[in-house]
Amino acid sequence: MSGKHAIQLSQAEIREQRLNLLYKILPILSVLLLIGLWLYASRGYNPKVGSGFPTPAAVWDRTVRLFTAPVKKRSLIMHALVSLRRIGIALAFDWTFGIVFGIIIGWYAKPRAFFSPMFDAFRAVPPLAWIPLITLWFGIGEFPKILIVIFGSLASIVVNVKAGLSTVDRMYLDVGTVFNASPMQTLIKIAIPSSLDAIFAGVRTSTSAAWMVVLAAEMLGADAGVGFLISRGMDSIDMPLVLTGMIAIGIVGAILAILTQLVERLICPWTRKSK
Amino acid sequence: MSDPTTVMTNEERVVYMQQKRKQTQIRDTMLAIAGVLSFLLIWEAVVMSGWVDSKKLCSVLEVFRLFIVKFTDINPDGAVLLVNVWSSLLIALSGFGLAIVIGIPLGWLMGWYRGFDAFMRPIFEIIRPIPPVSWIPLSIVWMGIGLKAKSFIVFFAAFVPCLINSYTGIRQTKEVLKNVGKTFGASNFTIFWKVGIPSSLTMAFAGIKVAIGNAWATLVAAEMLAASSGLGYMILMGRSYGRVDLVILGIVVIGALGVLISLLITRAETYLMRWKKV
Amino acid sequence: MDKKKQVILSLRNISHSFIVKNEVKAAVSDVSLDVYDNEFLVVLGPGHSGKTVLMNVIAGIEKLVEGKIYLRGEEIHGSNRSIGMVFQSLNLMPWRTVMQNVEFGLELAGLDKKQRRLIAQKHIDLVRLSGFESAYPHELSGGMKQRVGIARAYANNPEILIMDEPFGALDAQTRYAMEEEVLRIWKEEKRTVIFVTNNIEEAVYLADRIVLLSNCPARVKHIYDLSSLGRPRNMMDPEFLRIRTEISQNTDLAL
Repeated sequence: MSGKHAIQLSQAEIREQRLNLLYKILPILSVLLLIGLWLYASRGYNPKVGSGFPTPAAVWDRTVRLFTAPVKKRSLIMHALVSLRRIGIALAFDWTFGIVFGIIIGWYAKPRAFFSPMFDAFRAVPPLAWIPLITLWFGIGEFPKILIVIFGSLASIVVNVKAGLSTVDRMYLDVGTVFNASPMQTLIKIAIPSSLDAIFAGVRTSTSAAWMVVLAAEMLGADAGVGFLISRGMDSIDMPLVLTGMIAIGIVGAILAILTQLVERLICPWTRKSK
Repeated sequence: MSDPTTVMTNEERVVYMQQKRKQTQIRDTMLAIAGVLSFLLIWEAVVMSGWVDSKKLCSVLEVFRLFIVKFTDINPDGAVLLVNVWSSLLIALSGFGLAIVIGIPLGWLMGWYRGFDAFMRPIFEIIRPIPPVSWIPLSIVWMGIGLKAKSFIVFFAAFVPCLINSYTGIRQTKEVLKNVGKTFGASNFTIFWKVGIPSSLTMAFAGIKVAIGNAWATLVAAEMLAASSGLGYMILMGRSYGRVDLVILGIVVIGALGVLISLLITRAETYLMRWKKV
Repeated sequence: MDKKKQVILSLRNISHSFIVKNEVKAAVSDVSLDVYDNEFLVVLGPGHSGKTVLMNVIAGIEKLVEGKIYLRGEEIHGSNRSIGMVFQSLNLMPWRTVMQNVEFGLELAGLDKKQRRLIAQKHIDLVRLSGFESAYPHELSGGMKQRVGIARAYANNPEILIMDEPFGALDAQTRYAMEEEVLRIWKEEKRTVIFVTNNIEEAVYLADRIVLLSNCPARVKHIYDLSSLGRPRNMMDPEFLRIRTEISQNTDLAL
């Protein structure tokens, strides 16, 4: 607008403005760099022979083809749903059993002393190491897969719930004492609510753990699911398929993480830094 | 209700409290032993009752026996126990070491310097949601079966937690402490070096512990998918040859090694952070 | 108003100590005290003198080591519905709204929802927080949070209310306002109040009687009777200042 005085910026402010601009440009630069790298790495790609690293176009092509020419009679989305269904069932069990078990061993000292050593021992074993044993016992159906996911994600929720319940703030317990709360009332009305944020941390961790384990389990023997897609790509040297699968995995994983955060914010509106 | 403490002298009270503490410790240790024993007994009972097919579960003692035997017996997977252990450890430690050396400083830089953060962010956010295991097929197609591919996968598994934790740790540096540095006329880099980094060490170590857990787990997966030696491979072979005792032995050894490494890291942490109130 | 004073709470030879690293640290040393019905008693002592420990013992948070406590002539052990407490640092439960926090004691006692709401609302109005029933503690200021704490303690209908340095964390302005509030609430809902503070001015402003404690381990140094000062108190009154000076000269320093 004409007629207004131009505002004089100090040297420091000008510099800051320039820096802010730089900070906005840099992310774009790095993405461009990545794309450039990709294009460079895929310059020797030969779709007929399948050698070299696939071009972005090839990957997009393959993704689209997945919808029209499904692998094992399923489109990409259906494979993703298969994987999600598996972790859904596993997590349902995890959360019901895990939260109850975690509360018991977090709150009561004697069960904690009794169960902790064996539980920690089982926890120390990487989830995938269980796969041969479980397939030996139960074959390669749906149930063993879900069992593997449970083995891989149960520990996360139990550990978090246990931590939450064994470190209830002394202050809240004192309030309970003064108001004459019974031991059960103390557990239900004080200890558990104050541990809700730990419980949700467990929910988040177990979800991401479950996602990782289901993929590995699918890679080692399945005919549906996103993990299967990737191993199929590996077996048939179909690199674009592998990359498509990885991208799909990344997207679903990110969505899961965002969802769990949203749910937490809904159920615990009081979680703030100001304590 | 008479409380035993109300009629004691102070010295008697101290002794009483000490005794109570010891009693609780003993009780807890007994319970722990009971827990482990119950598990082992149930295991043995199931095996001996014949309720489960002998191909599916073997006795505890057999696992133990195999443990001893495996030191010299190369069947059926083709290597002695220690060779497998060493093979796994080597890859785990190299990939893991690389992840620490790159990931933690990178996290520090990203957490401190905005320009760095702005540039690395997109790359990181793309890599982050992809679980380490899903890198396996890609690396196999790319680099074939072998040490390079496996180290690469392990590196990725350990890299992300290291970076996230050192990043968060240095971002949480108390404003007050930074200001102290400024009032002494220290440059940004000096404050970064002498204030930011030391105060982020707790979180960095937490990240390292998570990273080793991830690395170890991912390594087992990689060995199962594409290897000719290592503990994961050993378990797989046990499965193929129907040797339950080998499978269980493998599981136990993997778990035990994981715990050992974790303990060592905690030791290192306690030593490096002696100033911290326990 | 000059009715015969009844003793509601009686402390006899209370001693308390802690075991820290196999050493005994005395916190309270042989305290004997009578508290009268419906009085505003202030317990005054320097910082870390053991006042909070003494209060915790009375409220039942700490188990008594030595001595006896009598409530209306009967010996009591542990926590008691007749003794309520307003805590020093905020222990409002962050996951409960103001209304739910105030209801807490009533919920534990098993009252049904309608009754609870009624009583809790009355007390929220009493501390002048009407309208904030659905707010969460993190949305409130320090003074407001303490008012919730007071409402919560009052709602449980105790005969004796202990207030353990409730205004310690507040700034000076809020503190003066809260002192007025406490007296107003006390006038409206008469209870026996045991108010703990390390601030001499606050003590003289609020108290019917002041129990002056020594440095750690806490002993009763002196009991001041302030019935000669009328209410409301005037901090510039010469009598007020005289008593205040006398007390401050008698106080141990916490350094």
